[in-house]
Amino acid sequence: MTGALRLLGIALGTLLVGSIVSLALARDRRRCGWASFLFVTAAGVLTWVAAARALSAGSSTEVRIVELAGVGATLAISIDPLSAVFLLIATAIAVLSTLFSIHYMDHYRSDQVAKFYPVLQLFFASIIAVLLASDFLFFLVFWELMTLTSFFLVIFERESQSSQRAGLKYFIVTHAATLCMLAAALVLWDTSGSFHFAQLREALSTLIVTRPIMAHTVILLFFLGFATKAGVLPMGDWLPDAHPVAPSGVSAALSGVLVKLGIYGMMRLFCNLLPISPASETWGWVVALAGTGSLFVGTLTAVRQTDSKRLMAFSTIGQIGYICLAIGVGVHSLRSNSALAAVALAAALLHAMNHACFKSCLFLGAGSVLFRTGKRNLDQLGGLAASMPYTAGASTVASLSISGVPPFNGFASKWLIVVSCLLAGMGSPLFLVLGLIALFISLASLASFMQVLASVFYGRSDESVNVREVPPSMAVPQVILAGLCVVLGVFPQLPLRYAGFAVERLLGMPDTGTIGGGWSGAYVSSGGVLVAFWSPVAMLIAIAALGLIAYAIQRAGGAAVKRVPVWYCGEEHPARIVRYAASSLYLPFKDAFRRIYPSWSARAPRFPPRLRSAFDLDRWLYEPSVRVVLDAAGRVSRTHVGTPQVYLLWIVIGAMAVLGIMLALAI
Amino acid sequence: MSQQLALLMIVLPVVGAVLCGTIMKGCRHVAVGCSAGVLGLAVWTVTAGFGASSRLMFGRLPWLTAMSNEPLFGIMIDPLSALMLVLVTTIGFLTVLYSTQYLTERHKEHPVPAGEHGRYYFWLLLFLASMVGVSVSPNFLQLLLFWELTTVCSWALISFHRNARSLRAGFKALVMTHAGGLFFLVAICILFARGHSFDFSAIAALPEGLRAWVFVCLMIAAWAKAAQVPLHTWLPDAMEAPTPISAYLHAAAMVKAGVYLMARSAGAGWAMPPHVALVLAIMAMVTIAIALSFYFVQDDLKRLLAFSTIAHLGYILLGVGIGSLGSVLAYRGGVLHIICHGFSKATLFFCAGAVAYVTGSRSISAIRGLGRSMPLSATAFFVGVLAVAGVPPFACFWSKFMILAGAMQLSGPIGPIVLVFILVETLVSFAWLLYVAQRVFMGTPSPVATVNSDPPPAMSVTLVILMVGCLLAPAIGIPLVELIGR
Repeated sequence: MTGALRLLGIALGTLLVGSIVSLALARDRRRCGWASFLFVTAAGVLTWVAAARALSAGSSTEVRIVELAGVGATLAISIDPLSAVFLLIATAIAVLSTLFSIHYMDHYRSDQVAKFYPVLQLFFASIIAVLLASDFLFFLVFWELMTLTSFFLVIFERESQSSQRAGLKYFIVTHAATLCMLAAALVLWDTSGSFHFAQLREALSTLIVTRPIMAHTVILLFFLGFATKAGVLPMGDWLPDAHPVAPSGVSAALSGVLVKLGIYGMMRLFCNLLPISPASETWGWVVALAGTGSLFVGTLTAVRQTDSKRLMAFSTIGQIGYICLAIGVGVHSLRSNSALAAVALAAALLHAMNHACFKSCLFLGAGSVLFRTGKRNLDQLGGLAASMPYTAGASTVASLSISGVPPFNGFASKWLIVVSCLLAGMGSPLFLVLGLIALFISLASLASFMQVLASVFYGRSDESVNVREVPPSMAVPQVILAGLCVVLGVFPQLPLRYAGFAVERLLGMPDTGTIGGGWSGAYVSSGGVLVAFWSPVAMLIAIAALGLIAYAIQRAGGAAVKRVPVWYCGEEHPARIVRYAASSLYLPFKDAFRRIYPSWSARAPRFPPRLRSAFDLDRWLYEPSVRVVLDAAGRVSRTHVGTPQVYLLWIVIGAMAVLGIMLALAI
Repeated sequence: MSQQLALLMIVLPVVGAVLCGTIMKGCRHVAVGCSAGVLGLAVWTVTAGFGASSRLMFGRLPWLTAMSNEPLFGIMIDPLSALMLVLVTTIGFLTVLYSTQYLTERHKEHPVPAGEHGRYYFWLLLFLASMVGVSVSPNFLQLLLFWELTTVCSWALISFHRNARSLRAGFKALVMTHAGGLFFLVAICILFARGHSFDFSAIAALPEGLRAWVFVCLMIAAWAKAAQVPLHTWLPDAMEAPTPISAYLHAAAMVKAGVYLMARSAGAGWAMPPHVALVLAIMAMVTIAIALSFYFVQDDLKRLLAFSTIAHLGYILLGVGIGSLGSVLAYRGGVLHIICHGFSKATLFFCAGAVAYVTGSRSISAIRGLGRSMPLSATAFFVGVLAVAGVPPFACFWSKFMILAGAMQLSGPIGPIVLVFILVETLVSFAWLLYVAQRVFMGTPSPVATVNSDPPPAMSVTLVILMVGCLLAPAIGIPLVELIGR
């Protein structure tokens, strides 16, 4: 198994070399892009091979690279099925978003690609390193390297004020989260003396018995750290600002990969670090409630957006909420029902994979529209389906997917999430409520993406705008991702098998066969009894049959199809006036949920001027004392009058004083 | 053998200084050659006997032989002085290299005619020599001599432009640090009177009560030198110095001599009484907080960096203080912070210098969008900000982390208090410095920032080397500090 790690080491090296090479080639945009794509692809292939090995063989042995004996930290890397799953997601999105960026970066005329491709490759390298680290100190180091590289990608547009502000907010918020995690790790290190995950786990399990309040504080700090990165509200408030302003390839990678690492961290925290105890039930509730709150607020806020990328960013918050809900259910039932826990966690993992596919596809679609039209505002776009068929098709598939329409992949994972909520609801009914909320919020998802599709791709186009389809290097990634949405949706058993395997290895469970799949579909069984089953193939056959019947009935009836233009009271109007704008859709709902995402601008408090002058030691201490010394010196100098008689007088007075003292002493 | 070479490290820059002071023409090359030679010697000395302690003693003072017959002067190399040597000579060399193109008539803010060069390099090389002397001193007496020499050199260099403001700033620095130096003198007088020795280790042999007073005197001396509250006010004014001098003053010389004194005396026998160590740690935290409060009202880029230096010297003393309370890890962290902060802060100052060189301005509010015309300086400034704020994987993260971890090792409430305090300070200062970096280098270029380009090659090379240093300083520092133990 060290073979897999060696491959990953080579992949990391490839990315580092790639970043230097692309820096050297930065004068030629296209050549730099293609070179970066080659390096990322090479690294991606190596990573895929390594991840595939890990998924077939299980956990690897650990390789130690550098040891910091003084602080008990070791740069150690290892790979297990969980990290392998995330490696698969990360590298797939990395390759596709780099390919997309090659032509897309022409969009930024005044910004050099020298600050894009090298940083992008370092970003991907740090993601791989985060997934491999098995020592928390170095995990944090790579984690922050990832934050820092993504910060530079977010602020790529140097002259855009909104990019700069969003980047600053992003970095400050996530750096605060990292510092929280550092504090938590240091508390644990104080008892364990090492930062290795295994030792931290032991430290946490003793701490939870001896000092439960401290233990819960530690878990809270870790949770805050990971949830911030994952974009769980309210800590994820950076996300709607940072995602839209980044170049679209980066937005896809941020939403597809970066926030997923928050999920990865949470799964590590709650399944690896936290021992199975009453605390895990409590934290299961916390995570599930945070997830539900996030999916509720995030998705409903998405409906209100008119900026396509900002809408997608809010929708990411919502989808992350789904994943957190599933993790919460899983963590909650770890103690009571480990089979259910496995189902819920596998659902979370599956949804993470699926979300990477459809959300990246949507961001790339929004990027393609931006590339051709220069617009992100839904109200100003329309009817692009005719001129951009591939983009429109891919975005449609991804939109249906994210809304959980069968047979696309979003349905499979949402189904599994709802199933696990229902199963958990048998024990504690609140989960039932959460599951129902999740189910109905899918509608809001559908509404928000229908709004995108209707206003960007369908409806009437502006005749004046001459828009072409994007070049193949931008269309291919979208088509691949849309294809993945379909394939993973029709055959959910393929990813589910790996997700189930990863979760079972993570929890140290034997292969129970709780989650499985045959050629026909995926199933969940409990104690040998089938409790849920989903067969997309069968359903597709049924739908096809129904469609055929409907077609046959229509043919048999011989009804004629009439196509008439919309009647605008007989007046001629340009398309952009009569188009149904995104901002005028669902107005009652938007009004109802107007206050759901409160926003305020924070102002730094003024530093009290009194304190400021108190700190200014020069003003009240040194300068006055210098003045006193100078005055005293001036007074002393006044005795130097230049008259010999006066000096003689001083001598006489001095002599008398000395005599007096001596006499006094003698007596 | 290596000690003789080490001696050469002091002699060579002194000779160079005299040459520069006399020949005037071409003194730049002499200065570069001398400082490069010193750097080479230092690297050789440190790597040849990596982590080994060695000393070479010679020379007595005839009027002291009645009390102590030991030799009083010499060279001592141990991990702590090796660390200082690496920092002092590297930054020293880079300062000289940078100055060769910074101090010219093309400089927009302060053009310097060639006639002034001799004076400049004379003092700079003497500064380098005296810092090497501080680093390799085997006892308090020699340390005091070189210590006061650094005060004189910094006085001359701060006042280099000889206008009213810089003369005043130089005088202020001289008076305040010299006043502190008098406490140092008191301390070693007590030490010699009671212990008959100037050795660092003699301090541990003093009786408890007296030892506390000696440490208090040393602490006041270190506060004055290292610009700690309440003696910090000379450092922001010292920004009147030419920028390479500010960089050297902050990163490697002068103020670092102060913290070095504290690290040296605390590490010799670990004899600092706990209540003095506690005062040291608390005052360090007070300094950090007060310095932080001054960040937000600075418009001069260099003054902002000066307050950041004050805070970071506080970190070093905090590490030393916690180390003296019983956690050697924090002490190591503090010592590591000397070199990590040195590289990070030098990067920032050299960037500020580059900005002043091409734009003629140091005002944060006037400069915008420099990143377009000065990509290298912008990169270096961001690297410096991230390094100084302690964002992993850059330098100061590792040292701050070791201080934090060391604080957590102490029993009682000190660990958590220090942890929360430092993390909050780190976040706030990180946020502000990042904000300033974005303000200056990002956005639409302002009129001041439109026509320029990156600085000339010698300055650019310096920035590149320092960026690498910001990343690799811990790789040199950690192996060295791991050798320091009790």
